[in-house]
Amino acid sequence: MSATERSGDAPGHTADDVADLIPMVRRIVYSRVGSHPSAEDLVQETLTRVLSAASTVEPGMLEPYAIVTARNVVSSLWRDIDRKNRNQHRLVDLSAPEPPEKQVVLEEEQSAMAAALARLDERERRALLDHEVDGADTHALAARHGTTAGAVAAQLNRTRARLRVEYLLAIEHVDPPTDRCRPVLIALSSGDQRRQREVQAAQHLLECEPCARLSQPLLERGQQRNDCLRIPVSSDADIVSARRAARELATRLAFGATDLTVIATAVSEVCRNIVRFAGSGEVVVELLEAPTRGIQIVARDGGPGITDVDRALGDGFSTYGGLGLGLPGVRRLMDEFAIASEPGHGTTVTMTKWEGTDHERPT
Amino acid sequence: MNGGPALVSIMRQGSTLIASVHTALNDSELVRFEHDLVDQIGEHRSRGVIIDVAALDVIDSFAALTLRRIADMARLRGAQTVLVGIQPEVAFTMVRLGMGTGAVPTALDLEEGLALLAEQGSHHPRPDEPEA
Ligand SMILES: [Zn+2]
Repeated sequence: MSATERSGDAPGHTADDVADLIPMVRRIVYSRVGSHPSAEDLVQETLTRVLSAASTVEPGMLEPYAIVTARNVVSSLWRDIDRKNRNQHRLVDLSAPEPPEKQVVLEEEQSAMAAALARLDERERRALLDHEVDGADTHALAARHGTTAGAVAAQLNRTRARLRVEYLLAIEHVDPPTDRCRPVLIALSSGDQRRQREVQAAQHLLECEPCARLSQPLLERGQQRNDCLRIPVSSDADIVSARRAARELATRLAFGATDLTVIATAVSEVCRNIVRFAGSGEVVVELLEAPTRGIQIVARDGGPGITDVDRALGDGFSTYGGLGLGLPGVRRLMDEFAIASEPGHGTTVTMTKWEGTDHERPT
Repeated sequence: MNGGPALVSIMRQGSTLIASVHTALNDSELVRFEHDLVDQIGEHRSRGVIIDVAALDVIDSFAALTLRRIADMARLRGAQTVLVGIQPEVAFTMVRLGMGTGAVPTALDLEEGLALLAEQGSHHPRPDEPEA
């Protein structure tokens, strides 16, 4: 594709010039959101913006201007969708409702949610709504309340666990028969196994019929939101999938944008080593609760192994014909890094990033 | 491009090529991109190359080396390369990884990139062209 030739003496662009860009704008928008129902709206939105700026854009610059505009318009759509999805997913994060007798179900859900929110204390409710609805991130909330992002994330998780329980009680019209019911249900809802043992959750479910019934969606949910992912890695495309999955899992903790990028990049490097040197292997990504919150990545293969680990970790060791910055670079990116390799039997890299160690941020 | 949405688009704007990466690329796709772009630089005898990497949420060692290699090949063909749109988190991570962008200049966005090329173009005419 090449830009339209022009004489260069045109004092600005006209609507005809913009019309010439329609196929290109359409191609850019459709290549990124082709299946989305508003794709055509985005094309129009882009053209409108380009048209309104056309007379002031320098000769020859209209095409690049249109490309940048199209991309901005598309990414603002993604941000909207993303925000909506996150909010839906977090606030009404129970197993999917029965096939909707739409309006009635919706109203019932709304009043159950209102009842559930009313049972939270003011401070919890404020923090949750600031985060979920107004989009304040954990760092901003931490600054506002004079605490740490990690503490805010932990508190938000506890609040969500309570909210899910209160929502279930309200929508199922259950009045808990004993004082032990709420603590048990909340421990199940948060997936906190230590707390579940403390309140003897299993025993209570055997004795209490309402809790046994209510606990099912809570337990199913815990399984869906598994805190551990196992990703087989044997191709270039797997490297990209693995780093995406790790980033996605890491967003459940209070990692900042830099840490998320660091984690995704480290996963990319260790996966590439698997593909290049062993052919295939797997990556296990797991969220940790202790000693503090963090994410652990274990990359394993059954390949030829590394004969000289110390040398492989020294800067400048050439791995795949490049500058060989893979492993030493990854070690610098992560908080903990260990490698075990046995020639002929494969290599295991174990690395961890702890929440809240993101001291060095880009300026 | 053969089937599916375009991962990268390469446009010609006078003597400048503008390559926009639209999505995350895996290693094979990066290599294909490198070949396509270097071919086009030769074909159009371009003097400037802008690579917009704003859509890359990760630039690991392989991606960084590929971008550097593109810039080296472009230089051998008489073209200056500018990377635009690197996200701050990505730049930070590249440096920690030990990569940086090497000798490849970067600019905030397309506009700055074009300005940078215009500035450098006046100092570095193509070796096979008489100075204007
Ligand atoms: Zn009970």
